[in-house]
Amino acid sequence: MHQNKSLVILILLLGLLIHKYYCKEQTYIHNQGKPLRFHVAEFNFDHVSDVYAITLWILLGSLAKVGFHLSYRLTEKFPESCLLIMLGLIVGGLLYITHLAEQKAYVLNSDTFFLFLLPPIILEAGYFMPNRPFFDNLGTILLLAIVNTLFNTVCIGLTIYGFARTPIFGNTPFDMLSCFVFAALISAVDPVAVLATFTEIHVNDMLYIVVFGESLLNDAVSVVLYRMFDSFAKIGQENLILMDYVLGALSFFVVSLGGVLIGIIFGVVACFTTKFTEHTPVLEPLIILVYAYLAYLTSEMVSVSGILAITFCGMVMKQYVSFNISKKSDATTEYVLKMLSSIMETIIFMFMGLSTVSDHHSWNTGFVLITILSCLVFRVIGIAIFANLANCWRLLELTRIDMLIMSYGGLRGAIAFSLALILDETKIPRKKEFVTATIAVVFFTVFVQGITIGPLVKCLNVRRKQIEEPTMSAKLTNRMMDHVMTCLEEISGSGGSNSLRDKCRNLDRNYFKRWLLRETPQEKMDIKLLQTFKKINMQSAMKVHDTSKGLVPTPSSAAFPTSASATNLRPSSTFANFSQLLAANLPEQTVPDLMFFESQGPDHYRDDAQMHHFLDTNLYRAKPRAAIHLRSQDETAETNNESQNRFEKSYHHRNHIFIPSRHDKEQTHGRKTGKTGSGATRSSGSKSASSTQPFNDSQATKHSLMSAITKKQNLKVPPTFTNSHKQQQQSSKPRSRSPPLSSDQPIKSLPTTNDTHPVIPPVSIVIENEEDVKTMGGVTAAEHSFPWRRSSIPDGEQAALSIPAGDSANNAQTFSNRNDPSLHPGPLTSANFSGAYNKSPEYMGEFATTTKPEEHLSRPHIRDLFNNQLRPSDETQENSAEAAANEGVTRL
Amino acid sequence: MGASKSTLLPLEEEQSICSETGFTSKQLRRLYIRFQELGKRNPTCGYLTREELLDIREVSLNPLGQRLVDVIIEDYGEANKINFKQFATVLAQFRRGKSITDLNTKEKKLLFLFSIYDRNHDSKIDRHELLGILKMMVGGNIHDEQIATIADHTIEELDSDGDLTITFEEFCKTLAKIDVDEKMSMKFLN
Repeated sequence: MHQNKSLVILILLLGLLIHKYYCKEQTYIHNQGKPLRFHVAEFNFDHVSDVYAITLWILLGSLAKVGFHLSYRLTEKFPESCLLIMLGLIVGGLLYITHLAEQKAYVLNSDTFFLFLLPPIILEAGYFMPNRPFFDNLGTILLLAIVNTLFNTVCIGLTIYGFARTPIFGNTPFDMLSCFVFAALISAVDPVAVLATFTEIHVNDMLYIVVFGESLLNDAVSVVLYRMFDSFAKIGQENLILMDYVLGALSFFVVSLGGVLIGIIFGVVACFTTKFTEHTPVLEPLIILVYAYLAYLTSEMVSVSGILAITFCGMVMKQYVSFNISKKSDATTEYVLKMLSSIMETIIFMFMGLSTVSDHHSWNTGFVLITILSCLVFRVIGIAIFANLANCWRLLELTRIDMLIMSYGGLRGAIAFSLALILDETKIPRKKEFVTATIAVVFFTVFVQGITIGPLVKCLNVRRKQIEEPTMSAKLTNRMMDHVMTCLEEISGSGGSNSLRDKCRNLDRNYFKRWLLRETPQEKMDIKLLQTFKKINMQSAMKVHDTSKGLVPTPSSAAFPTSASATNLRPSSTFANFSQLLAANLPEQTVPDLMFFESQGPDHYRDDAQMHHFLDTNLYRAKPRAAIHLRSQDETAETNNESQNRFEKSYHHRNHIFIPSRHDKEQTHGRKTGKTGSGATRSSGSKSASSTQPFNDSQATKHSLMSAITKKQNLKVPPTFTNSHKQQQQSSKPRSRSPPLSSDQPIKSLPTTNDTHPVIPPVSIVIENEEDVKTMGGVTAAEHSFPWRRSSIPDGEQAALSIPAGDSANNAQTFSNRNDPSLHPGPLTSANFSGAYNKSPEYMGEFATTTKPEEHLSRPHIRDLFNNQLRPSDETQENSAEAAANEGVTRL
Repeated sequence: MGASKSTLLPLEEEQSICSETGFTSKQLRRLYIRFQELGKRNPTCGYLTREELLDIREVSLNPLGQRLVDVIIEDYGEANKINFKQFATVLAQFRRGKSITDLNTKEKKLLFLFSIYDRNHDSKIDRHELLGILKMMVGGNIHDEQIATIADHTIEELDSDGDLTITFEEFCKTLAKIDVDEKMSMKFLN
């Protein structure tokens, strides 16, 4: 459905473009006849026509891709490349009918292809090349890329030439050299097509890298063969001497090694350049891209393999650049690369379809059939021979199924097509047949093989790529295995790949890293392990962010001695890691990630700051609360100043941009928290129901800790709470209208906290608390010392809670306070704050400075939730009477 | 056995080791040559000592080299020495080949890995042992606290019964996704 809609839109868009084209010409002609007058507005399409067309193409491509992915069923069945080609065909058909196909911008031009469309794709492939599997399988890849391609070329060439002598081609003459030219371009597996198909079927890394690596590296061979046969054809078959063949063979080494060398040189220079970009981090992504592109252009200039150059350039850069450039630049580079390659791929496939519709065809059924068949057959034969050959030295042998997928994955694509397009028709008279046959082969491979390879992989049960989260233990053990195997290989004296890798790594560390990195890595330090750890930390932080509401109590429980979390308190797998991480570090450090970076170099301070910023922007609920929590602990034991300072400091540079988006999340999470929160209150209530005696802060802390723990246990049985909560929710609305003590308070406070979306769950908490809490002052007070334990609880309820404990005069005051419109809208009773706030004026000052009134006004509502807890510290300072009341309440 | 010139193993011993380890006799001969090469210090006796193994430059440079030699000598050898048969047994665990003996199973490899951690043979990796390994592997002058954090994190990841140690089962479970068999194998020259 979506599909059709978006297609219609696309066609309309195109129609608009065509319409514009005509309009332009008409108006232009029209203007000639008229006397020259000043124009208020001018229609000047010529001025922008080329760029306009290109931009529209990009737009069309992006929209098409967006449209395809709206329909899950469509993309599941057909690979994207097929859909794009189809779209191209449709558009091409339209253009053909409207006779616009002659327009230059609409045809895949091989210059455009090789200079603009191809490099980003290959660079992306090189940059994100999984190095380890690539080098582990390098022998196989090279064998397939070089020898297999050669084998295919020769076989296909000979077959076609052989069949040309039979009447099967309709007696069209094909001379031998042009057959070989054609074979050279058709035999090479296409990296773009392989990439597009294989990223969708998720086979295991080894299989993927063997096929993809082959398609990348065979470029050198196919380029050489193509040029060689092409120039042979120009020289003429009868003029060839032995020397030409020798030079041709020689040129293979020049083209391949030259390409690799240029790539590595540019990569190294790029890394070296980024060593000095400390003060201009904005340019870092550009520098990387430009160097890579330059590598490609340079190698094209000296006619060596540009694909090899840009691949290796990307691979070299990836190794070192990410250590030098800032994290933002790194992310930008990766993103830009992905974006560019994605859109280029889209355009290439679209152009493929588009260029098909033209007059430059000459269909020769016999020729096309023979070509397709020989491509298929020799691919299978070639793989069978060379994979078995490779198995002689491979550690992990290629199975039959692997071989089948490898041969089936031998897709041809746009490179072959563009090469066919630039054939010289005067030298190669059968160009049209070649182009047609190439298109036929490409379409056959992309459509038939591309569509069926997914199901084939599934039904043959090919080992899939395991998408696993990086775990520290896995990384550690992986590392360990490397070391152990290296050692064992040395001991056994059979120098295998492990010891080779170890030598490379030593070389890398001792020389390249030293020259190319801003900071010389420490002797023998395993950066990768540390990086993994950082990444895991980051991910746990993200998880905390995502489940922030659910996690809120965990820090407090983790603040408990580790025995608490060491026992069977494992609430849910999502944040088990993080809470345990916390448990391992607390009570000294609330957020261990930050401490981790402390004692490292200046770069790590930057990391630290970024981590701060990250946690800041995302964990804003949990963090200040944690600070509050720490503070209340501090009252008894003067520790933790450091981490507290951090929290306070970081509070200043909170980023408000994130908040609107958090709003919705907060809303959705609110429900959950309502559940868990209510569960916690209830259970904690039942436990400490007897504790109605006056309490101090430390007691409050204990209570809340207990409740946090009980809450953890409660999380194990969510369904009951869900059910009960649902019932509560249903009943809560009408009941909230008539709370016993302050009937209008909840209704009044709701609009202030969330103007647009009245939150239901908090209301349900009101009910819960009213039921449970009335009997026990201790629990409520404990909650008050942990205001974050409850979400946006309407404050009338809190006032109600404070009444049993405090005196009613206080409540009257706070209520009037809330009703006063000039004062802060977030109405809070003094009971929201434990004595910790009142006892530390400098702490309040901290928050008083941060929450300026205008700042508050500009904030989205969700901030108010938090402000509710901060605000009154402001107010209490202003309002001395209320401050006194606060003390009265909290101290009792 | 012809100490001065012995480059060959007695035939019957060779055969028995071959059948036990799954090595071909060619591979075994090659290994024996290597074994004698390593035992340069003491060419006459058929043993390798710790020091001789650590004489290999790469092994001594390897962050885990020392520990590995410890494991080999202590777990597989006797009296701080290792003879050729034991030597071959160690290596046979990592032999990759068609014939699977009970030596080169996946479990053996996992056990070997585990024994690198577990030096007090209580079939548990405790925090202390993990810390030791981490210090060796991460290297550099990283603060102890950081290492401790990583160690704690790792234990928490693996530890499923909450006793803050890693048992062999827990160890295997988390490594299920890693192709240990493939990674812990090597090709022996013929």
